[in-house]
Amino acid sequence: MSSHRLFRFPKPAWINSANTRTAGVYTAGALFSLGFYILIDCAVWSGSAMNPSDPPVHITFVDWIPGICSALGMLVINSIDKSRLSADSFSYSGNGVAWKARLVLFLGFALLAGGLAGSVTVLVLKYVVKEYVWPTLWMGVGNVVANGLVMLSSAVLWVAQNMEDEYTYNLAL
Amino acid sequence: MAGLKTIIALSFVLAIGFLLVILSSALFKSYLTLLVVATYVIAPLPNWICGRAANPDDFMESSGSGVVDFGRFLTGFFVVMGIALPVLLWHSAKIAGGAAVMSIVGGLLIYGTIISFTLFFQEEQEF
Repeated sequence: MSSHRLFRFPKPAWINSANTRTAGVYTAGALFSLGFYILIDCAVWSGSAMNPSDPPVHITFVDWIPGICSALGMLVINSIDKSRLSADSFSYSGNGVAWKARLVLFLGFALLAGGLAGSVTVLVLKYVVKEYVWPTLWMGVGNVVANGLVMLSSAVLWVAQNMEDEYTYNLAL
Repeated sequence: MAGLKTIIALSFVLAIGFLLVILSSALFKSYLTLLVVATYVIAPLPNWICGRAANPDDFMESSGSGVVDFGRFLTGFFVVMGIALPVLLWHSAKIAGGAAVMSIVGGLLIYGTIISFTLFFQEEQEF
């Protein structure tokens, strides 16, 4: 195996250990929690006495849509069994499982990217264009940060789960 | 490894944690910080439940590890929630800054007690 390496530096051994992927899953949960609570913080702050905007600017349902899209996308992506992505060449996988998996995965990534893009859209159209200043601007910026964190959490979870596959593979050999 | 002194020290730390959280709500007349206790009490539950639901030693069957991973994900979620909730409430001026700091420290002490208790007494539980 090692003679087929392309790069000069070998892959560090801790990459494939079970502890690393456990830490990865915990980190993903922590990042998602951070994103979720930044979103909640925007909403609570919007209704609290700390909101100085005059005329009052509040969170409406429009601000929630990107977060809902991102969370749905994360759910879809991580519900897919990753080993089915390359399953077409195996006899046990049935007809077109990999194709279906790729389609669902594409929908998930589209939802995730749409959530992030939507939060930037809300920030620009609802807050930047109307030239609100900083404390009010937080409701838009927090939305973008929250969706970015959900996307990051999804990526960390994805990498951690792929790590597990390689780990299992090495062990099965 | 785990003797009488460990139990005494752990219960002492747990009492300090509860003292800090209750003080943070009672001193500032705002009882929202008690949510931190609830968060840290339910934080270890997903790992326990999902650990029972799947066999982690079964390497050939990959379907079981999804449940364990979901439990770990929820645990990470709850631990950060215990820190994020007081900060959120402080940012919206629902509680004072001192109450937020006290409830975070108290909550971390409570959670640390629960975790180290399960670490110390894991061997006894298996029999």
